[in-house]
Amino acid sequence: MEENNNPVYKDERYGQYRELLYYYNDEGKFEKKVGFHGEPDRVILQQAWDLFAERIEEARQKVLAGKASPIAYYMEKTLLDPMNLGLSAGISLWRVKLHLKPGPFKRLGEKTLRKYAEAFNITIEELKNVN
Amino acid sequence: MAIKDIVIDYKHRQAGHCESGATSNLFNFYGIELSEPMAFGIGTGIYFSYLPFLKLQFAPMMSFRNLPNTVFHRSMKYLEVDATVIKKFKDPKESMEALDRNLEKGIPTGVQVGVFNLTFFPPEYRMHYNMHNMVVYGKEGNNYHISDTVMEHPQILSYEDLLRVRWAKGAFAPKGKMYWINNIPKEIDVRAGVNKGLQKSVYEMIKVPFWLIGIKGMKIMAKDIRKWPKKHGNEKASFYLGQILRMAEDFGTGGAGFRYIFGAFLKESGQKFNHAGLLEAADLMGKTANRWRDFTYVGAKNCKNRAKPEEDYGMLGDMMMEIANGEEHVFKMLEKIKV
Repeated sequence: MEENNNPVYKDERYGQYRELLYYYNDEGKFEKKVGFHGEPDRVILQQAWDLFAERIEEARQKVLAGKASPIAYYMEKTLLDPMNLGLSAGISLWRVKLHLKPGPFKRLGEKTLRKYAEAFNITIEELKNVN
Repeated sequence: MAIKDIVIDYKHRQAGHCESGATSNLFNFYGIELSEPMAFGIGTGIYFSYLPFLKLQFAPMMSFRNLPNTVFHRSMKYLEVDATVIKKFKDPKESMEALDRNLEKGIPTGVQVGVFNLTFFPPEYRMHYNMHNMVVYGKEGNNYHISDTVMEHPQILSYEDLLRVRWAKGAFAPKGKMYWINNIPKEIDVRAGVNKGLQKSVYEMIKVPFWLIGIKGMKIMAKDIRKWPKKHGNEKASFYLGQILRMAEDFGTGGAGFRYIFGAFLKESGQKFNHAGLLEAADLMGKTANRWRDFTYVGAKNCKNRAKPEEDYGMLGDMMMEIANGEEHVFKMLEKIKV
């Protein structure tokens, strides 16, 4: 735990909140302290977000190269996997997997597109491109 | 239906863990002083399960706490308090109306939410985690007053945002779950509650006949840690290790996967009932919790330099095994204790 907030995160919004942590000291007392995250915590949180950012960028490149549909990009962006995307959009797993390909995506109707857009919390126009 | 503005005089106190913090704050609202560790211990919050075949954010799933709502439900049951839990609603609008009705009656109400779309939550924690708890204690126009114990101060959330997080989808979807206290007896029997809570915790940690739950799960995880670099390569092994550390140290646990809070519970009840055995167990639990924190510090080095791990995974596995043995000793001790 540290006293000051930390600009060490790559994203400036991170690390602005103080939280309560417990400690056990040498005198055998449990203590409560409020403070910012220490370095090990920052490292492991940043690691997770690095991986997510990597996956998002990879998916974006695939979409731009025409190898995947925009749904694949938005799925990574909202940190979902096909199963959880199916659950939140109300579409079965095999159909979600099908829609990750660019061909079947182009043939999708308004109704299905709206389901996906609602799950990603964006509009249908935004869903059609990845920029 | 618009209700008139109402803000209940509810005292927000920051806590280590969302649900036991909410439970403790609700008790305090009804005039009974119950600290967060006591609520956590009586509600048997301590737990461990390791489910490598399920993936949470692309890494094996593990849990250091009980299922959502266990802490509230069990602490109410063991302390014999009249409380209501509505597990799920059919319709989102109906769930919001039920919340409004409660606020009109002046009842602060706990709700289960998903944190991904929770606007005031620290951005670094916004992953798909649907087991967060907070208390709604007021409504002004379109805005709700929220007491989230992870945050330092009370927060405000609009109707649409609250509806969205209460109906987050995915694993352990909250489905609008809400809970509140109806009325509380003047005298509560803390001694009986502590006894029941301890026995249930001992059962869940060392006696469940399933090999992935409790201490047995920790030992299996320790063995798996050793195999990770060979099986998955260094990159993935460090990410998997990071998952253990994230679940243990971050995500509102108060540190060391709730082991500090549980130790504080043992200490507080030991002092309250003047029980030497409990105080000894509290000391051992505190020391094990410190070992957990050491584990985080050592493990984080591997996460920092992912391709070339600084520490040996075999050593980390041994460390985890040592922690598991330490906890097993504590729970075997607690098995014989009755206050």
